[in-house]
Amino acid sequence: MLRLININRRLGNFTLSEVNLEVADGEYYVLLGRSGSGKTQLLELIAGLEHPDSGKIFLDNIDITQQKIQDRKVGIVFQDYAIFPHMTVYGNIAYPLRARKEDNKNIDEQVKRAAEAMNITHILTRSTEKLSGGELQRVALARTLIKSPRLLLLDEPLSSLDTSLKDDLKRLLRNLNKAGQTIIHVTHDYCDAISLAKRVGVIHNGKIIQEGSVEDVFSNPSNRFVARYAGIRNFFKVNILHENGFLIGVTEHDVRFKLNGVNPASDNLLLIKNDTITVNDKLSEDMKINSIKGLVTEIIPSQYGLEVTVDAGDLFYVNILASDAIKYKLVEHKEVWVNFPSDAIVIINGN
Amino acid sequence: MSRTSIFTWIVMILSSLVLLFILAPLAGMFIHTGGAEFLETIKDKEVHQSVWLTLWVSFAATLIFSIAAVPFAWLLARKDFPVKNFVQGIIDLPIVLPHTAAGIALLGFISRDGFLGKTASIFGLNLVNHPSGIALAMAFVSVPFLINAARDGFAAVPERLEKAALNLGASQTKVFFTISLPLAWRSIITGFVMMFARGMSEFGAVVIIAYHPMIAPVLIYERFSSYGLNYARPASVFFILVALLFLVGLRLLSSKRKEKYVNPDAQID
Repeated sequence: MLRLININRRLGNFTLSEVNLEVADGEYYVLLGRSGSGKTQLLELIAGLEHPDSGKIFLDNIDITQQKIQDRKVGIVFQDYAIFPHMTVYGNIAYPLRARKEDNKNIDEQVKRAAEAMNITHILTRSTEKLSGGELQRVALARTLIKSPRLLLLDEPLSSLDTSLKDDLKRLLRNLNKAGQTIIHVTHDYCDAISLAKRVGVIHNGKIIQEGSVEDVFSNPSNRFVARYAGIRNFFKVNILHENGFLIGVTEHDVRFKLNGVNPASDNLLLIKNDTITVNDKLSEDMKINSIKGLVTEIIPSQYGLEVTVDAGDLFYVNILASDAIKYKLVEHKEVWVNFPSDAIVIINGN
Repeated sequence: MSRTSIFTWIVMILSSLVLLFILAPLAGMFIHTGGAEFLETIKDKEVHQSVWLTLWVSFAATLIFSIAAVPFAWLLARKDFPVKNFVQGIIDLPIVLPHTAAGIALLGFISRDGFLGKTASIFGLNLVNHPSGIALAMAFVSVPFLINAARDGFAAVPERLEKAALNLGASQTKVFFTISLPLAWRSIITGFVMMFARGMSEFGAVVIIAYHPMIAPVLIYERFSSYGLNYARPASVFFILVALLFLVGLRLLSSKRKEKYVNPDAQID
């Protein structure tokens, strides 16, 4: 349905380069990237607010690359909502219909229906000046959806909402998508991506560096940047050696990893998936388990319990339950073993 | 604390001196104008006509020129083009020119030998010594105030709002009239008031174009040069009071607009 082919766009010293993207009908596609990665620029190119230097944009197999903004069947909700401050909520929602010169009765019916769907009927006559972030977001969504866009573009829609409002809006967006609305949602937040996306793309320095299903992308990150997004913190630059018939990875501080069953990549950056790494007070004898000795240097509270930092020459970061800390009597400077199965190791492109 | 305090005192004293410099001559003029003389001036038909002429010609010039000047200001705020800085310089030129020189330049343009004068004479209109000529002289020296204020007003409207409106299906014209213009309204009104006020007070350029019919600044000058200070004073006081009344009225209008249209949340971009 939406197809971007080799999109290039230079803006000052920033370049979107060779962007190729396909989003199918009814898909919820999340474009994940840090601020300054080019995700908003890409949305603006799709919406027609900017034009690419080269490349083509197709919507329903029609070339819309040079089509005017107002002729595209694309609706965009901006990060700051872009609510018209001199109009009421009603005036804002009715704006696209008035632009199309629809009759007042029809406008009234559609505005009320849209307001009802967004649960903002009670604020229709209000000025937009004193609305909360959540209300402004819903007004912006109602105003965009009333023009029935084929494609809805959302620029960081959840970034300035508190947790409860975020959950409400996520539910709303999921329902919209279930009803058939194709959505491209850009965000810097990994949690938004995993909770909403059917497919996710990671954009970095103006390039989409990996895309696929949420599961694929975050289980098999193709490089350090994507791995970081998945919350992986244990990275090690290693040299890969054959030793006694075994494949091993050795860091510059001589930390040695058993790599049975691991596919080495061209650049040898080794990462260990978070949920597979544990810490305890015993060496594991299992040949399939990497067991690395080190000293506990720090124990701090984390989202999941405690985060233990172990210095084994290189630093390991391990999330454990508070009860495990008691069980193994973990304190700073205690000698411990960091354990993880060899198949939890992934070797990725280090660049 | 004490250093700040001394500094504040110095600033206040300097500010008071500037205020005094502006207010003292005006206050002196008001004080030295006797009630009887003032009442007589109010009844003077020549003064009436002159003040009324000044007001309506300046207002008409501002209104007519704003039709082109406001979209021009939008263009300057929103579009980049190769000679933009040069164009901005041209706009400010009338402010720095000696106004009599501006009058001479304009006279060459609107006299019967000039391009505009010739064109107007086809329709039987002689721009020299005519309110339309006065309006042109007033506009020539005052239109930069409107353009600059309106340009700043348009520039302060978040471009994102205009883009959002385009995305919602509005044409560029509709976006201008429903988004840009209402949101820049306060600055446009301020520019309008400044242009109107500046046009009203113009003497140098107007006196070259039209000694008659006599606008108030020319009448005041004429009374001063023919009869002296005492005769010029009451007319000056009357003109100042009427002009103030108009300006305060327009300012009130613009401040009401401000309350209605400016939303700080909308400035996030």
